[in-house]
Amino acid sequence: MLTGRGRGKIRAPRRGLSTPGDNVDFDSMWAVLASSLREIHTKNASKLSFEELYRNAYKLVLKKKGEALYEKVKQFEHDWLSTEVRGRIRSSLTGGLLTGAAGSISGMTANERRVAGEKFMKALKSAWEDHNLCMNMTTDVLMYMDRVYCTDNRRPSIFAASMALFRDCVLRSPLVAEDPTTVAMILNSVILDQVRMEREGDIIDKNLIRSCAYMLEGLYETEEEEESTKLYLTSFEPDFLDESRVFYKAEGASHLRSSDAGTYCRHTRKRISEEQDRCRSTLSPLTAPKITSVVEDELIKRNIREVIDMEGSGVEHMLDNDRIGELELVYELNARVDPKKEELRRALQKRVVELGSDVNNAAINSSQAPPPQPPEVNGETRGKGDAKPPAERPVNQQTAAAIKWVDDVLQLKDKYDNIWIRAFGSDQGLQTALTRSFSDFINAFPRSSEYISLFLDENLKKGLKGKTENEVDAVLEKAITLLRYIQDKDMFERYYKKHLCRRLLMGKSVSGDVERQMISRMKMEVGNHFTQKLEGMFKDMTVSEDLTSSFKDKIAKLGDPDQKRIELAINVLTSTMWPLEAMAPSTSGEEGRARCIFPQAVERVKQSFEKFYMEKHNGRVLTWQANMGTADVRATFPKVPGKESSKERRHELNVSTYAMVILLLFNDLPPGESYTFEDVQGRTNIPTNELIRNLQSLAVAPKTRILIKEPMSKDIKPTDQFYFNENFHSKFLKIKVGVVSSGNKVEGTEERKETEKKNNDSRGGTIEAAIVRTMKQRKELSHQQLITEVITQLASRFVPDVNMVKKRIESLIEREYLERVEDAERPAYRYLA
Amino acid sequence: MATTQQQPSSDYVTLVSCDGYEFVVRRSCACVAGALRRMLDPNSSFNEAVTGRAVLENINGIVLEKVCEYFYYNEKNKDARDVPDMDIPPELCLELLMAADYLNT
Repeated sequence: MLTGRGRGKIRAPRRGLSTPGDNVDFDSMWAVLASSLREIHTKNASKLSFEELYRNAYKLVLKKKGEALYEKVKQFEHDWLSTEVRGRIRSSLTGGLLTGAAGSISGMTANERRVAGEKFMKALKSAWEDHNLCMNMTTDVLMYMDRVYCTDNRRPSIFAASMALFRDCVLRSPLVAEDPTTVAMILNSVILDQVRMEREGDIIDKNLIRSCAYMLEGLYETEEEEESTKLYLTSFEPDFLDESRVFYKAEGASHLRSSDAGTYCRHTRKRISEEQDRCRSTLSPLTAPKITSVVEDELIKRNIREVIDMEGSGVEHMLDNDRIGELELVYELNARVDPKKEELRRALQKRVVELGSDVNNAAINSSQAPPPQPPEVNGETRGKGDAKPPAERPVNQQTAAAIKWVDDVLQLKDKYDNIWIRAFGSDQGLQTALTRSFSDFINAFPRSSEYISLFLDENLKKGLKGKTENEVDAVLEKAITLLRYIQDKDMFERYYKKHLCRRLLMGKSVSGDVERQMISRMKMEVGNHFTQKLEGMFKDMTVSEDLTSSFKDKIAKLGDPDQKRIELAINVLTSTMWPLEAMAPSTSGEEGRARCIFPQAVERVKQSFEKFYMEKHNGRVLTWQANMGTADVRATFPKVPGKESSKERRHELNVSTYAMVILLLFNDLPPGESYTFEDVQGRTNIPTNELIRNLQSLAVAPKTRILIKEPMSKDIKPTDQFYFNENFHSKFLKIKVGVVSSGNKVEGTEERKETEKKNNDSRGGTIEAAIVRTMKQRKELSHQQLITEVITQLASRFVPDVNMVKKRIESLIEREYLERVEDAERPAYRYLA
Repeated sequence: MATTQQQPSSDYVTLVSCDGYEFVVRRSCACVAGALRRMLDPNSSFNEAVTGRAVLENINGIVLEKVCEYFYYNEKNKDARDVPDMDIPPELCLELLMAADYLNT
């Protein structure tokens, strides 16, 4: 009928939208509502009409009776909770619990307590659930009131208000007059009691506790219902955490006494995961991080140090016995409380340094155990395996000690790398710690540079023979690993150069490829400047090969008729690249650099090469280093007069250049005659100690006794007589007469001092260069800055001594490269161009 | 959509106006109104929820028809944009507003 009108006219609605003239009588309407609420609480709601209740509430609110309604409902709930619900809960309490909340729960067995507690919690849970259900329905019916009255007047919704009522009338109210014990307190103590039972291994009704905790979570301190004021957080959780703290403190102490580190850690981890499970299944997930941190504090933080240090089962024991699983546990636990893993790191570093020092000491002991014999006594058959004469053992033993040291260090490194990967999850911080420890003990060992180079030398000479590429790679990689730890890289460079030099000149290197590979690896690791000279050495070797062959060509073209001409293979070495002092180790001797007198035939070849070389490179000076060379000599031994069967024997002798010179001397000597030591020296001008060594290998060593010494003894004295041994006998056509080469051996104390001194000298130069470089760039710099700058620049090569840097600055000032800046606040320098 | 036939299916509910008109609407549509949603919530155990029939003493047939129309209109265009306005006769405006307030629509 209304829609039929063309022009719509807004008319006032009929009053109240419903039965007109419906006077609102609050009391009668409330009476209806109240009885309905009671029906709801007694679960008889299906008889009620939602619409009717809703409409009543609606009307009341419309007629401005909202407040009265609100208060009435609250009063109703209050009465209901105080009488009906509280009564029900009180009746669920078994006697012991009431007193129990006050403290001691003695006098009841665990089982009785559990049953009583469960009964109580069940009652509480059902009361809570009923209340919730009723209040949901009530809220639905009073929705209009909530929407209009509560929002307008900023009152908490009726639901929140009734929850607060539940809190106050049920949980917070004393059960018995004159007794302050409240339901909440009993609930707390019951839950804690049950949790304790579970910790001790009993089985409890997790779901029941969970619903009680859930109830506490649903209640708030204030009606604003802020998250942080949940009853669970304010009243239960602190109790729970305190209780747990006490429990775990006691447990930690007792376990520390009674079990070993591994068990302790396993137990701790079990406890942590138990607590997390408990939070999930029994209490509230909110507590999980807090209780975890309590357990961590009490079981880990408080005790980790003692656990790690535990005698006979701590980290040390685990490391030594490869207890990967336990180490992993320790790592995990330590990581929980300390992101830096301080304790574990400390223990780890301590153990590494301990083991490292053991390795160091073992190396020192084994290298010093035999009486330090001079290297001259060394035999000539080095490298021939079993036939080692006892005399060479000391030196070999030292070399072996060096190699053993490297192997031990590498083994240690492998072991800890393995542990690091498998147990410590490749933790960055621990890696740094490990690296530092290794670096510490390696650098604490004064011979590390030398030993590493020696290790490489040994491998490049024979160790790598017949090995696959991968194995070679592995060995090189190992060496590089160690090199990384070395601080004084210049020291290493010095030794490596020396060893490389010997390998190259004596042709002892297994493979040039591997040598080059090693150098390129070092280049990557340490930098270009480090390998420059090493590369230069290789270049010299190639150039020399060309030189030799072109010299040979030239001689051949000359058509030299001399059949006995001497073939010459020469290595021309750039003196700055090569460690010449290593080639002539005893220049401190009285002869200085006196030239060796070559026999005529040799001298001719030498001169012709000099001429040839000067044609090619004008202005260069050739210095002949006879001490590094070798020569092949064809020697003929006459028939032994006494024996008919013997005949003339020819042998090819591979000897050192000096030995060649000595042997040629005997060519001119009639049979039966002799030279004294002094004769030989006078005629050859070979440095004394070289001469002694060569004569020893020619006249003393049993297998290559080409000369006979009179009187026969090991030592060479200036008055000894030497004869040509016509009775020399050997079943080999080619004989190698070895001479001690001190290069690939561990240095003696003297040599070491020398090397160190040289090294220091060259460091001095490097430091000066760095100072000048810096100053040139900066013009003016304070003392402190300059020192820092220089040290950083040099860090990749070695760790310079500050005193040394100071001295160098002084000396540069003296030489007027720098001057002190006058009247500067801090001492400063200026660069003088 | 005005029909007097009742279908006792849980997917449909019956809304009855004060003057006796019955509207059978989809439950999901009726639940657009907050009051109806709670009234008919199967989980609550009020009479309306048990029977699936709600008598609205406050609303007459004409308004309730418009309300039901709105329920469908609302559900149909729930996620759509730029929906044309519903046709509301001006004389019904006030009564509809009051009904909307009552039903919490």
